Amino acid sequence: MPGTTIVVTSGKGGVGKTTTVANLGTALAMRGRSVVMVDADIGLRNLDVVMGLENRIVYNLVDIIEGRCRTEQAMIRDRKLNSLFLIPAAQTREKDAVHPDQMKELCEKLQQDFDYVLVDCPAGIERGFRNAVAGAQKAIVVTTPEVSAIRDADRVIGLLEAELMKDIQLIINRLNHKMVKRGDMMSTEDICSLLAIPLVGVIPESEEVVVSTNRGIPLVHEKRSSVAGAFRRIAARLEGEQVPIPADNAEEGGILSRFKRLIWSS
Amino acid sequence: MLDTIKRFFGDKKSGEVAKKRMQIVLLHDRLSISPEMLESIKNDILQVLSRYMEIDGRTIKVSIEKGENYAALVSNVQVKRVYRHVQQPSTESS
Repeated sequence: MPGTTIVVTSGKGGVGKTTTVANLGTALAMRGRSVVMVDADIGLRNLDVVMGLENRIVYNLVDIIEGRCRTEQAMIRDRKLNSLFLIPAAQTREKDAVHPDQMKELCEKLQQDFDYVLVDCPAGIERGFRNAVAGAQKAIVVTTPEVSAIRDADRVIGLLEAELMKDIQLIINRLNHKMVKRGDMMSTEDICSLLAIPLVGVIPESEEVVVSTNRGIPLVHEKRSSVAGAFRRIAARLEGEQVPIPADNAEEGGILSRFKRLIWSS
Repeated sequence: MLDTIKRFFGDKKSGEVAKKRMQIVLLHDRLSISPEMLESIKNDILQVLSRYMEIDGRTIKVSIEKGENYAALVSNVQVKRVYRHVQQPSTESS
């Protein structure tokens, strides 16, 4: 059975698309799935540094499409997981180097060999967006609880629906539970009612994300991290498991760690 | 000072403000309707109204009005005569 191509998109830049692709790809591979991540952000490649694979690049996406190498030659295997691969974006080319039909063809080909093809979409809604979306059967829209990100997410959802994308799901990134609690941040419920698409997960705001990207090791490898847990649960949901999404006011880590924190802080 | 007092008496939290603002912004954004769609809405309105009154089809205007905290679909049409009974939808196509 061929795999599924999922595009991760947002409209606005800097909301965590690349981090999401890196962590979901890793989480799915940890579940034993074969995964290839495609960086479709031509000219501004980043997924390679987030994955810590920047030194291994020889060929890239545009090389495949223009026939300068075979698809396998441009695929870089992950350092830890041998069923996880990356196809990096070209750094010195323009977005116009790729046509949506070519992307579609590539995704169809990759689906023959992989369970999941994850496409990291560039910010914006121009050519790069249309390329990234062309071969996908599913879309994940990433937003943060900020007005600018939500507005752009809504616009992107409209464009995806216009492209007849049927399966569109939402990830809310960088939710700050404390701020929601004191009423200074839109809650998961608020955002869901505004955007009106199914929610697949909520990622809490955490400094750990910067630390892990500094090192080039996706955070899902970290067993105790709440962010890692959130990504692992999203991976499980993508595979059809019924994993409930914790409420905004649910304390992370359970009673014991709350008790510990209380002791340490006093 | 006024701000402090306002806050003391339970002025709206910023999260709530953001939600209310986004409801209006997204409504406005989504109402960016194409001229073709507006034309289609116009024809549908005409069709429905024609069951109840005689109207001048040439005078109908449909537009989207966007205010600071609302958005409205505004339609103006000149009525010539109101029917005593509801007219059944025409079955010209059959």
